[in-house]
Amino acid sequence: MSRLPRQARLPLVIAAAIILPPLLGRVLPDRFGGVESRILGVGVCYAVAALALNLVMGYAGQISLGHFALVGVGAFTTGVLTAADRFALPYFFAIPAAALLGAAVALVVGFPSLRLRGLYLAIVTIGFSYAMERSIFRIRSLTGGSSGIEVPRPIAGTFTFLLSADYLSILLLLLILVWLVDVNVTRTRIGRAFRAVKASEPVASSFGIDVGRHKLLAFVLSGAFAGIAGAMYAPLVGTVNAGGFAYQLSLLLVVIVVLGGLGSRTGVVVAAIAYAEFPRIFIPIFGEGFRGWDLVLGAAGLMLAVRNHPGGVPEILEHRRERKLIAAKAAAATAAGGSVETEEATPTPALPQMPRPAERAGAKPVTPGSVLLDVQNISVNFGGLKAVDDASFSVKAGEIAGLIGPNGAGKTTLFNAITGLVTPDVGRVFLLGSEITQLAPHQRAGAGIGRTFQGIGLAKDLSVIENLLLAQHTLAGYSVVEALTNLGRSRAVEKDLRNRAREALVALGFEGRADVPVRVLSHGQQRIVELGCVLLTAPDLVLLDEPSAGMSPGAAENLAERLRDIRDQLGRTVLLIEHNLPLVLDVCDSLTVLSSGTVIASGSIDEVANQPEVITAYLGETVPLDALPVMA
Amino acid sequence: MSEAKGPVLQVDAVTAGFGATTVLHGVDLTVQPGDVAGVFGLNGAGKSVTMKVLAGLVPVRTGRVSFLGEDVTKRSPEDRVAMGMAHVPQGRQVFAGLSVEQNLRLGAYTLRRRDKGRYAGVLSGVFDRFPMLAERRTQIAGTMSGGQQASLAVARSLMSEPKLVLVDEPSAGLSPMAVQVLFGTLREVAATGVTMVLVEQNVAFGLQLVDNVNVLQVGRVVYRGPVAGLDQEALAGYLGIGRLLGTGVSASLAGRAPASVESNPVAPTPRRRTRRVVDVTASPKKMASAPVRKAASAKKKAAAPVRKAASPKKMASAPAKIAVPAKAGATTRKATKKRSS
Amino acid sequence: MGFLSLQNVVLGLIEGGIYGLLAVGIVLVYRGSRVLNFAQGEIGTIGLFVAWFLVTDRGYPWIVGAIGAVLVATAIGLGFERLVVRKMADGTRISVAVATVGLLLFLLSLGFVLFGESPRSVRGPIAGQGVSLAGVNVSPTQILSLVITLAIGFGLAALLQRTDFGLAVLAAADDPSAVRLVGASLAKVSAFTWGAGAAISALAVLLIEPSIGVFGPGFASELFVYAMTAALVGGLASLPGAFVGGLAVGLLKVFVTSATITSSLPGIPILSVFALILVVLLARPGGLFGAKPPAIA
Repeated sequence: MSRLPRQARLPLVIAAAIILPPLLGRVLPDRFGGVESRILGVGVCYAVAALALNLVMGYAGQISLGHFALVGVGAFTTGVLTAADRFALPYFFAIPAAALLGAAVALVVGFPSLRLRGLYLAIVTIGFSYAMERSIFRIRSLTGGSSGIEVPRPIAGTFTFLLSADYLSILLLLLILVWLVDVNVTRTRIGRAFRAVKASEPVASSFGIDVGRHKLLAFVLSGAFAGIAGAMYAPLVGTVNAGGFAYQLSLLLVVIVVLGGLGSRTGVVVAAIAYAEFPRIFIPIFGEGFRGWDLVLGAAGLMLAVRNHPGGVPEILEHRRERKLIAAKAAAATAAGGSVETEEATPTPALPQMPRPAERAGAKPVTPGSVLLDVQNISVNFGGLKAVDDASFSVKAGEIAGLIGPNGAGKTTLFNAITGLVTPDVGRVFLLGSEITQLAPHQRAGAGIGRTFQGIGLAKDLSVIENLLLAQHTLAGYSVVEALTNLGRSRAVEKDLRNRAREALVALGFEGRADVPVRVLSHGQQRIVELGCVLLTAPDLVLLDEPSAGMSPGAAENLAERLRDIRDQLGRTVLLIEHNLPLVLDVCDSLTVLSSGTVIASGSIDEVANQPEVITAYLGETVPLDALPVMA
Repeated sequence: MSEAKGPVLQVDAVTAGFGATTVLHGVDLTVQPGDVAGVFGLNGAGKSVTMKVLAGLVPVRTGRVSFLGEDVTKRSPEDRVAMGMAHVPQGRQVFAGLSVEQNLRLGAYTLRRRDKGRYAGVLSGVFDRFPMLAERRTQIAGTMSGGQQASLAVARSLMSEPKLVLVDEPSAGLSPMAVQVLFGTLREVAATGVTMVLVEQNVAFGLQLVDNVNVLQVGRVVYRGPVAGLDQEALAGYLGIGRLLGTGVSASLAGRAPASVESNPVAPTPRRRTRRVVDVTASPKKMASAPVRKAASAKKKAAAPVRKAASPKKMASAPAKIAVPAKAGATTRKATKKRSS
Repeated sequence: MGFLSLQNVVLGLIEGGIYGLLAVGIVLVYRGSRVLNFAQGEIGTIGLFVAWFLVTDRGYPWIVGAIGAVLVATAIGLGFERLVVRKMADGTRISVAVATVGLLLFLLSLGFVLFGESPRSVRGPIAGQGVSLAGVNVSPTQILSLVITLAIGFGLAALLQRTDFGLAVLAAADDPSAVRLVGASLAKVSAFTWGAGAAISALAVLLIEPSIGVFGPGFASELFVYAMTAALVGGLASLPGAFVGGLAVGLLKVFVTSATITSSLPGIPILSVFALILVVLLARPGGLFGAKPPAIA
């Protein structure tokens, strides 16, 4: 049994969509006649709407409770354009119009809420849903008031798609279209960016992703899909009115998407069609009294599913796979004897094998020894507490600089001020002579700063290879349109990125584990992947936040070697936050000492080591000795 | 003082972790009544997980935790507090939206359920000990400085008349002045006989407060012993700081123990390869936050009794280059171009 | 400006008081569990159905219906907290929010199945003409709702500020784990906020129904939009702010309805409230009482 080559699959599916429904409708009218096709058609419409919501909820992690209102926008647009007593345009024009209008409305609704974190979009979409159903969709001149608009079936030449079975072909084709665009979303940097935003917004920023813009993009794209769903739905049901787009239906969509599996295309399509077919299966068994209980059951199922598995059915499958992986790991470790030590002592592999990065657009040449990073008079206040107080220091190109100080001295806050996650009250930051103080975090990432996080800056739900691809986000030089249509440079660039990611994978020693979700790896392994990701983007300046935390002394020594490699072999500049004093003194060329938010010393290692304040800081005498009670 | 004769806290072979990761690989700990037990270690060694296990916030996988003779391994945090455990959590965790008095009242939650009548007395006792808080009883906790919040957190823990206080990295994030005040506070509290477990990453600070030392490394206790007669070499090794000798920490130890503790800088042991001149300054693995020495206090130190170690003033003027020990299994050092040896 | 009449002000404040009460319930749950309960309104609708059954169908006095409504609503709130929220203590707040969406749809569709769409009503507790307040005819129910709103408002404030348990509830919003570390039961705090929130919801919905006339499934969910806006205006984390926000929304709604009475545009009140949401999020996301928007995720 030969597997069909990829190229042949799509045309085959399209052909089946065109030929099968009309055929079955005529050949088997009792099984595939009017009612049955219509119900299936509704399922297909719901499937497209579910794909739309999946984009927002499953990929980008935002809750929308008004998606059926967006479907309504598309439906009414179609009605207005194609109705006999309105513009009476051919159906063909309705599809892009519905998509466009759906996207536009989503833009207006999404903009105020997506700049903010969390559930604000949910709040807005509830209001949106009611506002549309009670107000906008009832405007007589626009939508025919409460009686609505009569929407005709499409006409192609002289043929009218009156038979539901015939119309089903069009519906299936549109589903395929939306599916393909969705595939293009997930396989390009857009989808990866969405999922990174869902996993962790600061991490996404550090990869150069404009979080707010991407959340809005997800919602707008989703609006376009929903609009198309509306364009499909309107001719199918024949009459569109406000009552058909009530709040409950948006909630129903949430149930479908969550139960079908957040983030799973196949899952949500199957769930949508299953929902539509559900009454047909169960009413004959349980009788007419069962009508309406399907929603009750579905909602109960949702609560249970979310409680146990927020990710729906695919997450359950994913978890099983993970558990097997973990068990295998544990078995291998015990077989090797002395489990944990081997894990923790995983040495960072030599990095010269890392692929030479592609040139970053606009990258300036760096002269070793010149000032790469210049931090001037940074002060950060957190509601009365001065976390960083007038801190100034600089880092020269080609050196390894250390930033040390006690826990709570303000080092991570200073890092955050340099990378843009925190806005200082006073002060300026310069990179290669240009001021970056006003740039957003993702812009600074694009300007050449890479960083690691104490809590490991990876998108933990994504696989190793996806993280490596994600890391190259700023290098993926193709536009959104090119991504969605899989035309233009996107294919070539993606191929290039993938090659580079594979090389990095091999260099880091993760061949064979490309598709493993990062959260399954041990802490040490995650650190390695994180370092690989940071290095892939050719940042001029690499900020490492406590890279040796949790490492055994042996692993820390190995880390020192790797840091020197980064400086000497890869030619990067490194700024370290560290507590491991011997590591710092071993590896750093210059040192800045922070204590209670102030810089108490800064300069080359030799200079700093001789300063009395630094020694005092290290002496750890915090109380005058004569104040100690005399011990008997 | 607790009435129980046995140890206040007994931890036996506890393993714990998150998800697939194990963080503690068999931790043992014994705390006798009136003791101040210290837990030290590098970042990532498992100190905060240990505290969370003691509190009951992280479940134990294998092993046992006993408090006042009772097995509390499966007991909830609330139950343990009702039994007499109190907490000064990492980062203070005061209730920022509530006033000082409301914070203290919440600290007395279990006390007020046991015996409401005692509350007024306990509160006034706490205000006596913390006059700064008495002055600010209606101030909203979130508007206070870090040091003031630290005092509030300690005071709050005392409101339940606890049998054991778990103190988690109290000095973290505090200015040197605040650390001084905190030190005095904890010192006084310990002097009243309250049993404490102190987790600290600032070794010198911690050593001045504790009676015995437990060092964690990668989830296991690798060194345990009383502060008197502390094996400084071993401690230094586990904390990876090469040298612990010299004024700073020795002074801490000298302040607690008889003068038999060595306080002179010792020549480096031959097996350690170093790149620079070795002289010793106390290089605690985690730095204490320390103020830039003011002239006045330096003078004060110079006048300190001889029993204490060499004065810091003297220390400060000594040529201090910092030791750089190589670890066991040191890698060969390549002559790097930029370095001058 | 005819719509800015004293009559409208009184009406707006009375209606706004109910929205404020509902908003207080929303913010209470939010502070106790850091979750937005999207089903909060619909819990009230179920209470209303229970009251209908007891009062209109079976003829019991209003107070019996009220007690029944509050009991059933509280049971739903407590049940959901116990069976779902508590089991998701380690999960993301977004997942819990999705679970409340499930609860919402559950109650909504249950209402449709058990009671159908036909409109019902529950007569107010006190018959009679009511009084004339500043030229406005205020019904006895409206007076009662004012009294109850104030009573609940002050009662809740006293409970939260004066008792130990109430303090723990307030503290839970700041630092849930520290609440456990002083020995207070976070589980009880959580249960209280969900139960009380549900009870408040039932009462508020019951009191406003006579003014609106008839109800069906989904009745309170629309009210919920107004209450949610009120909470947003108040800043989501502030209980007094939620109440003031409610008054603001009530006034806006009455003014807008009055000013556009001749317009043919349907649903203007809800449209204006939706616009208010957008404006608040654009201009001052932290609400009137907050500085930075709380990161509710």
